[in-house]
Amino acid sequence: MPEQVLELTVNGRKQKKIAKPGARLLDFLRDELNLTGAKEGCGAGECGTCSVFVDGKLVKSCLMPAMKADGATIETVEGLANKGELTPLQRAFHKTGASQCGYCIPGMVMAATSALRENPFADREEIKERLGGNICRCTGYQKIFEAVELARDVMNGRLPATAIDVDEKAEKYIGANVRRLDAPSKVSGSLRYAGDMTMPGMLHMQVLRSPHAHAKILSIDTSEAEALEGVECVVTHEDVPGEDGFGVFVHDQPIMARDKVRYVGEAVAAVAAEDLATARKALGLIRVEYEELPAVFDPFEAMKPGAPKIHDYADGNLTKHIPIRKGDVENGFAEADVIIEETYSTQAVEHAYLEPEAGLAYVDHDGVVTVLSPSQNITHHRHMLSKIIAKPINKVRFIMSAVGGGFGGKEDMIYQGMLALAAMKTMRPVRLVFTREESIATTAKRHPFTTRLKVGFKKDGRITAAEMEAVADGGAYGLSTEGVMRKAAILSCGPYDIANVKVDTRGIYTNNTPSGAFRTFGGMQVQFAMESHMDLAAERLGLDPFEIRYLNAMRDGAVTHTQQKLDSVSATRVMEAAEKASNWERGVPNGRGATRSDLGGPGTRKACTLGARLAEQADHRVEEEVA
Amino acid sequence: MLSCDDYLKPKSLKEALQAVAQAPAGSRVIAGGTDTLPWAREGRAGDVHVPALIDVTKVAEFQGTRIENGRCRIGAAVPYQPFLDDVSLRAALPCMPYCAIWFADDQIREQATLAGNIVNASPVADGTPALLTLNAEVELARLEGDEVAFRRMKLAEFITGPGRTQLMPGELVAAIECETAEGYGGSFEKVGARRSLVISSVCVAGLVKTSEDGRSFADVRLAAGGVGPVAFRFDDIEDELVGAEISEAAVEKAADHAARRVASRSRVEYRREVIRGFVIRAVEDALARARPAIPHTPSLKEAIHA
Ligand SMILES: Cc1cc2nc3c(=O)[nH]c(=O)nc-3n(C[C@H](O)[C@H](O)[C@H](O)COP(=O)(O)OP(=O)(O)OC[C@H]3O[C@@H](n4cnc5c(N)ncnc54)[C@H](O)[C@@H]3O)c2cc1C
Repeated sequence: MPEQVLELTVNGRKQKKIAKPGARLLDFLRDELNLTGAKEGCGAGECGTCSVFVDGKLVKSCLMPAMKADGATIETVEGLANKGELTPLQRAFHKTGASQCGYCIPGMVMAATSALRENPFADREEIKERLGGNICRCTGYQKIFEAVELARDVMNGRLPATAIDVDEKAEKYIGANVRRLDAPSKVSGSLRYAGDMTMPGMLHMQVLRSPHAHAKILSIDTSEAEALEGVECVVTHEDVPGEDGFGVFVHDQPIMARDKVRYVGEAVAAVAAEDLATARKALGLIRVEYEELPAVFDPFEAMKPGAPKIHDYADGNLTKHIPIRKGDVENGFAEADVIIEETYSTQAVEHAYLEPEAGLAYVDHDGVVTVLSPSQNITHHRHMLSKIIAKPINKVRFIMSAVGGGFGGKEDMIYQGMLALAAMKTMRPVRLVFTREESIATTAKRHPFTTRLKVGFKKDGRITAAEMEAVADGGAYGLSTEGVMRKAAILSCGPYDIANVKVDTRGIYTNNTPSGAFRTFGGMQVQFAMESHMDLAAERLGLDPFEIRYLNAMRDGAVTHTQQKLDSVSATRVMEAAEKASNWERGVPNGRGATRSDLGGPGTRKACTLGARLAEQADHRVEEEVA
Repeated sequence: MLSCDDYLKPKSLKEALQAVAQAPAGSRVIAGGTDTLPWAREGRAGDVHVPALIDVTKVAEFQGTRIENGRCRIGAAVPYQPFLDDVSLRAALPCMPYCAIWFADDQIREQATLAGNIVNASPVADGTPALLTLNAEVELARLEGDEVAFRRMKLAEFITGPGRTQLMPGELVAAIECETAEGYGGSFEKVGARRSLVISSVCVAGLVKTSEDGRSFADVRLAAGGVGPVAFRFDDIEDELVGAEISEAAVEKAADHAARRVASRSRVEYRREVIRGFVIRAVEDALARARPAIPHTPSLKEAIHA
């Protein structure tokens, strides 16, 4: 492999290293200098987890060839403060709680540092603008902006230093601002996520994935790939010693495709090699012979007789059906003055946590197969893996690394098995880090739902009956579908006291990317239907949207759709608080238009625009002219 | 992943042209790399190995901007951020700061070059419509024997289609040269899927100068991207507005005409709607920023809506 010499100053120290001419500055900092505060969230300049200063200017190091930085002065998040100390800005992030998963935070701290260096008096709009190239998925921008404003005012002298360091004394923890114990490690960039970890002798894994949505695997020939210099092993389903299959409920997914592939992106084989480039090259040398099968991409098509069968066990491609019956809906509809029926659909959604999936596996000195990864369910994974690799549970260990955002998307054991197999086969540590593209293409999504909902109302707005039929596209494997169907059914008709309820939720196999757990676990999709329905009903009946909800809300002693008696229900209190906080003006939802006075008031947001710093300059110009 | 055997950083134009001439086939020129690196990823070109990457951002002749005699010369290595930060550039090229603020983000703007944006020739490149309003030309350099030779052409002629330009093999863009527009108000309107870091669905750049009494349009220049295979100037509307009294009716009529020029293949109705609104806004915003020749004229935005 060709090499060039690179000389630069990083965090005040001169570095002279041999580098691959094509390497990115990000790779160089992480791999050669072990500075892992800069992370790779997307590799395409979109997310800002890799931001570093080059000659005083903040840039995205994933888009900068290292050789371009030859001779430059680099500052990374590790170099912002003296060792073991934090800058005022980092301390402000700690104080305001501006770090949750923490994966975006080093980049955010860098962008905020740059913003305040460029303009120590930047106002909130300008701060937002200057942080516009950095994405956060779970902390929420509010606390981050608060932190930057706090640090700004301390740094420019408007506030005393104690404003950052001193906390209000709280009598209790609940309802008080409590500092996160792990925040310093996040704001300083010292916390290591799975993809930041290395071990001596570590191999790099890459995965060969299916180009077909549904196809029989006729043969897999790995011989050429195995013969490539630097390749330590190739693993396929044939390397699974035990009972193959994982999933949160039904264990229908093999570690790697066995006999057939069921979606585009399904893992078919994995290579472990001395370096990433070799592993990627080896993927191109694996020969897989497929025989394409008819595929189905729509759950309604998949339910029809004669549709392609995706799993042998699942007739009608049904993963799970959850029925709920309460009272008698026919009687309920007969009592209704108005019946509203609509069909709602919601789409697949990607979690887009900033940390793409990553893991490191090794077999330790006691022969314990160890997998380190940001798994949201290590105990379950451990039990499943022990069966799959046919080892007693005390020879299987899962370590949960810091999770750089999960939202349900890291509940599935989709890559930990491959890592374990490769570690067992080579007896060396093996690491796999997904690219953003791989993460989006191959991991579970929020279930797309098609929800038909029929609700009967009395003229005064009281619900007499609700009937819901929801069909969810579960994709190629079960993962969390069963639980999602259950939760969707339970929450189906909202926090409303309804005497007659009939609900059916069905998760269906298709050849789409598998659907899995995602915040609300099915609740959101059915709530979208039910709440849209409540608004339609308010329009039809001439009621205020809050009013119709109050009227139907469960109260203490209500019996849920699944016939559980509730001692205490807070729904009406929540609605009252929401109504008050939103300055809601009562009235029918339609027919008021621009005459409403609760639009655009305090606490509402204006349409976004850019150019805060230009507007400011314009103002100065006017002032100068006037003076 | 993009990999290469050799990373070259020529220091002079001649060295750069020689590197381009001598580099093995398949080698690539890069400037900021912000189009090239994302291109070499899954879903697009995938893993790409090139014999050499020729980084032209250290070429002495490509550095900096020069304003002289009503013209501005922008070296090929100049990134986007100076159009926002540099006070004299902002005054000379009044639509560029607004174009720049909507372009990517502060960090990409430190890297991404205007020349790279033009050579990449995306139909939705933000720089193209802005430069069209500034009557930009492209200066191209090549080797003739041992000598560096130049040719020049209008930007509108240089870009011939999506991703296509008149750049010949062995040639480099040395600079972009445009008119300065002091005293004009500038504007840039853009819509995409989100605010920061987004490629335009539609964008419109505007430059407006008013008559001395501030009552009529002395000059109007408008250009759009994202509504056809290449960005273009709205010559017809410009002709219609120049000399006309500033009024809401005149601007609205011009905007109606603009919608007809939409030549995209997808989302045509949407783009027509957007273009209409953007032309109105581009004129309004530019008017509001145009320095009125006579002090104490009422705000021009008010004049439009009077
Ligand atoms: C996150 C992100 C956000 C973006 N946002 C925007 C946006 O808002 N608006 C927009 O228009 N674009 C946007 N882009 C695209 C890109 O940043 C621009 O097109 C940029 O101007 C390209 O310039 P560069 O110097 O980085 O190009 P490079 O990738 O270095 O080069 C682009 C092309 O130009 C050629 N080239 C460069 N310099 C020369 C030269 N002197 N002579 C001959 N050929 C040359 C290269 O060979 C290559 O083919 C974005 C990109 C990213 C990654």
